[in-house]
Amino acid sequence: MKKTLRELRPVRVVGIGLHKYQHLSDTTYVTLGLTAVRAALDDAGIEWPAVESAYTGTALIGMAASRPMLRHLGATGIAMAQVENASASGSTAFRQACLEVASGISDVALAIGVDKPAMVNGAPGKTRIRDLVGARVAPFTHFALLANEYMNRYGVSTEQVAQVAVKNNRNGANNPFAQRQRAVTLEEVMAGPAISGTLTRLQCCPVGEGAAAVIVASDDAIEKLKINRARAIRTTASVSRSERVYRGAKNSDAELTRETVAQAYEEAGVGPKDLDLIELHDAFTIEELLYVEAMGLCGEGEGAAMIGGGTTDIGGRCAISASGGLLAMGHPIGPTGAGQIVEITRQLRGEAGARQQPNAKIGLAHMVGVGAVCVVHILRKDA
Amino acid sequence: MPETTAPSPELYSASPDGIPKLNGGLCPTCSYVFFPPQSYGCEICGAPGDALQPFALKGEGALRSFATVHLHPGKGIEAPFTVGVILLDDGPAVRAILAQKTDAGLKIGDRMHAAIIRTVSDEGGAGANELRFVRKESGK
Repeated sequence: MKKTLRELRPVRVVGIGLHKYQHLSDTTYVTLGLTAVRAALDDAGIEWPAVESAYTGTALIGMAASRPMLRHLGATGIAMAQVENASASGSTAFRQACLEVASGISDVALAIGVDKPAMVNGAPGKTRIRDLVGARVAPFTHFALLANEYMNRYGVSTEQVAQVAVKNNRNGANNPFAQRQRAVTLEEVMAGPAISGTLTRLQCCPVGEGAAAVIVASDDAIEKLKINRARAIRTTASVSRSERVYRGAKNSDAELTRETVAQAYEEAGVGPKDLDLIELHDAFTIEELLYVEAMGLCGEGEGAAMIGGGTTDIGGRCAISASGGLLAMGHPIGPTGAGQIVEITRQLRGEAGARQQPNAKIGLAHMVGVGAVCVVHILRKDA
Repeated sequence: MPETTAPSPELYSASPDGIPKLNGGLCPTCSYVFFPPQSYGCEICGAPGDALQPFALKGEGALRSFATVHLHPGKGIEAPFTVGVILLDDGPAVRAILAQKTDAGLKIGDRMHAAIIRTVSDEGGAGANELRFVRKESGK
């Protein structure tokens, strides 16, 4: 009979590390990745030879990224593979590491996300199925179209959508690893430049370079390696889904998130009211409104009022994008999903400093990727 | 990147009533109607591609959303231009480029129809016949 993650042996995040998200530079992906992994090893208080398996979430670097990077920690001969799942690559690398430890195949596994911006010809453009718009509809226009439809349906203003960027940049200003670390006013967000529809530059995430590393371990390994158990955070749900055909639905992006998150709630045994923080795929401001509704934090069309009312600020009922999210921390693609786990772990440990969500116990990480796919994890303190 | 600005005549056909039809597809197994056409297999029921049939969709519908693209990084794609989502009377929603460059006067819910328009290419050279959606004048 099949089992959920929570029914397997516990898997806990024991080490986290980042390389700052930043504009494209001369830094090699090797340096980016090693910086994050070494930080995660230090955080866990373990040595590299204790790691038995590594999954590298990356979409843009190219074939065979893992060993040319990880051999510089000592070529221990462990299993390594790349995981590509578009924007959800880092999330999927984390899922694979969790499944491997929960199943009992490994005691300690690494998920690392690393990428550098590059023009890559994605597979969806190679199907030879042509449509009427082609490359004229970039992701920002896909979401500009959803924004216009949403504002019209619910009577929401462009300023109410734009305020998401104000909140997330305010959070990002307190994150030393964020690509955008400056609080912005609503006037600045609205001033443009306009990109597509009502979306302005600051309502679109920056895509730069960076790395995020997460080490997960079994209770056996925590004991054997003398890892501080009080700082270990359990993964209580891991769900990965792909888009179905939602006939008659208003919005397939929201539907995919709705069903993926619903399954994660069920597996973790929690609901939206139990969440203390969420890191979600806010590549564009409108997405945060669509997804908080799809996650059941509020009713349809109520997202803008909820976010404007401070409910999702740090210190509110459920902090959303405390890291700054994709809008401020940035979206270097491969690292992004792993970086969400880093932030949630830091928050649940109570180590998030100026952007600490008080008494955070349960956090949810959500990424979507072109194709489309959705990957959701729930982490819990003291579980 | 996918094909960009080249016309895609396989996606539409002229019609005697002057409003081009979109060349959609139908799955006879599950009755799913789709656009754009493809011959790989049905996305609903998995019926193989050779079972799928052409299905002409009338190029008329209601504007579900629109966005004027102000900046575009793509080579040979000149902004501004306006993209619309049109919910066709025959079922599927399609994304298309509108005949008007900006969103002036557009409202969600506007009636729209397809038209084959001789465009000026983005490079300023000879144009091509391309499908655009046009807002119907009110009262018609």
